Amino acid sequence: MAGPPNKRQKREEKHEGQMPQKKFYRQRAHANPFSDHDLTYPEHPSAMRWSEHYPHFVATIPAAVPKDDPIATRDYNEYYVARMEKRVEVADIGCGFGGLLFALAPRMPATLILGLEIRTSVAEFVQDKAKALRLQQQQQPPASAGAETPPVPGGYENVSCIRANTMKFLPNFFAKAQLTKIFLCFPDPHFKARKHKARIVSATLNSEYAFVLAPGGMVYTITDVEDLHVWMVEHLAAHPSFARVAEGEAEGDECVAVMRRETEEGKKVERNGGRKFVAVFRRLEDPAWP
Amino acid sequence: MTHPFQCIATVQLPGRDEYLAAACGPKVFLVNAGKGEIASEWSASSLTTATSNGNDDAAGTSERPAKKQKTSNAASHAPNIIKLTVSLSQQYIVAVTDDKVIHVFEITGHGELKALSQRCMPKRPCAIQVLPDNATIICADKFGDVYSLPLLPSDAALTQNASPGAEHVDVMKTDEATFKPSATNLTVHTERNRKALEAQMQQKNFSAKKEPLKFEHKLLLGHVSMLTDVVFATRQVDGKQRSHIITADRDEHIRISRAPPQSHVIEGYCLGHSEFVSKLCLIPGTDILVSGGGDSWLGVWDWPSFKLRRKFDIRAAVLDTIRQDAEVSGADKTDTIKKADKDVVVSGLWTAPFANAKGKQETALLVACERRPSLLIIPISRLMLKKDESMTQTRVGHSVLDVTCIGDSVVLSLDTRSAGPGRLQPMKLFQSSGNDKGAVDYERDEEMDAKLKCLTKSSTDAHADDKALDELLYGVANLRKRRGWGDDAGGTQVDPSDTKRDDNGTEAMDVEDDLTVHKP
Repeated sequence: MAGPPNKRQKREEKHEGQMPQKKFYRQRAHANPFSDHDLTYPEHPSAMRWSEHYPHFVATIPAAVPKDDPIATRDYNEYYVARMEKRVEVADIGCGFGGLLFALAPRMPATLILGLEIRTSVAEFVQDKAKALRLQQQQQPPASAGAETPPVPGGYENVSCIRANTMKFLPNFFAKAQLTKIFLCFPDPHFKARKHKARIVSATLNSEYAFVLAPGGMVYTITDVEDLHVWMVEHLAAHPSFARVAEGEAEGDECVAVMRRETEEGKKVERNGGRKFVAVFRRLEDPAWP
Repeated sequence: MTHPFQCIATVQLPGRDEYLAAACGPKVFLVNAGKGEIASEWSASSLTTATSNGNDDAAGTSERPAKKQKTSNAASHAPNIIKLTVSLSQQYIVAVTDDKVIHVFEITGHGELKALSQRCMPKRPCAIQVLPDNATIICADKFGDVYSLPLLPSDAALTQNASPGAEHVDVMKTDEATFKPSATNLTVHTERNRKALEAQMQQKNFSAKKEPLKFEHKLLLGHVSMLTDVVFATRQVDGKQRSHIITADRDEHIRISRAPPQSHVIEGYCLGHSEFVSKLCLIPGTDILVSGGGDSWLGVWDWPSFKLRRKFDIRAAVLDTIRQDAEVSGADKTDTIKKADKDVVVSGLWTAPFANAKGKQETALLVACERRPSLLIIPISRLMLKKDESMTQTRVGHSVLDVTCIGDSVVLSLDTRSAGPGRLQPMKLFQSSGNDKGAVDYERDEEMDAKLKCLTKSSTDAHADDKALDELLYGVANLRKRRGWGDDAGGTQVDPSDTKRDDNGTEAMDVEDDLTVHKP
């Protein structure tokens, strides 16, 4: 049977450093978060090989690592895991084609930013784009040599993407209080009441976001579906670990502006004349034991 | 064929006789173990199935019929009991039937079972426990949620539409008189979805969606994964009691949350399993948690620090039994062993006290693997060691379904459906006097055996066939994920319309909304 041209093959045709083309990475917009898929994820956050994602941030390990080294360099199975200078602190859950990631990266060049996306091809696109952008930055002549565009701070070395189902496996990637920001941008609205448990914000999932967020950390949400916005505000505000940030304060946050403007979905809503609903929440300290 | 006892539990009424509660199909027997006679029995009736099915039917008209339930047999068969637990006060028995109903019984002075309440949960309960306050039930379900319900429902809550607690508000809109689709022309872009939206706008008479539960309940916490076990753990910190809820799921997680009223706080995860976790077991008097599941080892955790102390390998022991079985039956060994290698599935973990040589009481861990005809006995002192992996294997000839301690004997419930008698096998544990000093030995407890004889005669009307029994008794292996199947269906499909959503009641592919276990 003559199928459509093989997109996977087309993806590989581009030469190194060339930007990936979205049309070769399109994928059905929904994934069932309850199904098993064929996911790869570490057994434990300490077993995650971040070095593949952020090679510039791999720590140089002294020849003799002291025995009481506080950072785990071996996972449970005694595999060697390269130590990193930094941990991921910003997560974009459901990053899609990564518009937000690449807009945020130059604005916080010293912070590791990770996109998490459940659709294989889309996650691959973001990975390929990060690689291509990094290469472009490396090949660009230094600013002093009269480059046309100034180099981007951080050279996109601080941004990457993994394929993951965060609704199931968030604690496999991040330790307690590791993150400072979580973005939930234009999530699948799951209109049917029957599917509300599949929504990315729910009373029970919010506890997991609270677990990986450090106290004072932020959750940013944006959607064009008003009902979903109401739902997310209702559930996050009702959760004892979160408090909504006043709208005035939220609008002053640079991340909110970037999120409105730069997400791929945000641009599309703009084109179609839709509305965007934003809410920001702060992670509160855990209460004292009763 | 004799129906095995799928669940057994001990009731030790203070100052009175000891009772053994045994579930056989839809029946619960309460046996006075001192006198050796059946004190009372109770049977789940299809009356309860009717009410539970009523719930599903009511929701049928709203959007699309809810997922098809396996109701074919429900009408003719009484629901089977799947869980049985006793409150710490020994006053109440809580049973769960496979029609999702939680039954609470009071045990009266003469060992009679008095049914107090029946509550139908929204999803099938996978694990249930009565908290030490003797007033609260926690119930973990197939959908990944943990609910708390009062052990004895108050009458007010029964009649009123229970407000589901302030901590987690169940946002279920019952007032559907003014139905408005959530989608608008601004959020739906494809032609087909626009049409569907128009149709929805024109449609009238939306019936209420799902009815909220009619009894008092509170959602404590939830995983996006099928829960397999839940335990309640308490420890002293700075002279104060701190209580935790520990949950295990099919996606390898063991989560430690605070107990209510702070159940929204996750303290940490015990991560390290690479296959599903099916059972948790706290070792009394220690901070040790033992976990078992699809991995060929038991996890020995220091749970307050979330650290894996060791992986206790049980593969060798399980393979050993298979090898011996193969020798007996003369089957091809390599083949069976190869097959069984993937088949280490822990289906039960229990603790039992035993007296050591000096007469001091020690604890042993008992491990059952699904469809394996033996019980592994591991003294806790060995579990704590770094390397030692020796254990005692009791070859009981039939797979062990449940274990309970009554007095100083350990009663095993065995699947002897074809062999007939010997469904309950009491034994006594003691420290081995042989070469292996630390090991635990066992012998049959003839005295208790005689006492339990009364149960052997009574049985349910055995209309269960082999297949139905297997389904009831051996569900754990089905939790294993199928790997290497490429991506999920639809994963590689490309949606040319580049829309982030086309879900407006018209989606082409129906994704199951349940946490489905794929049967091989």
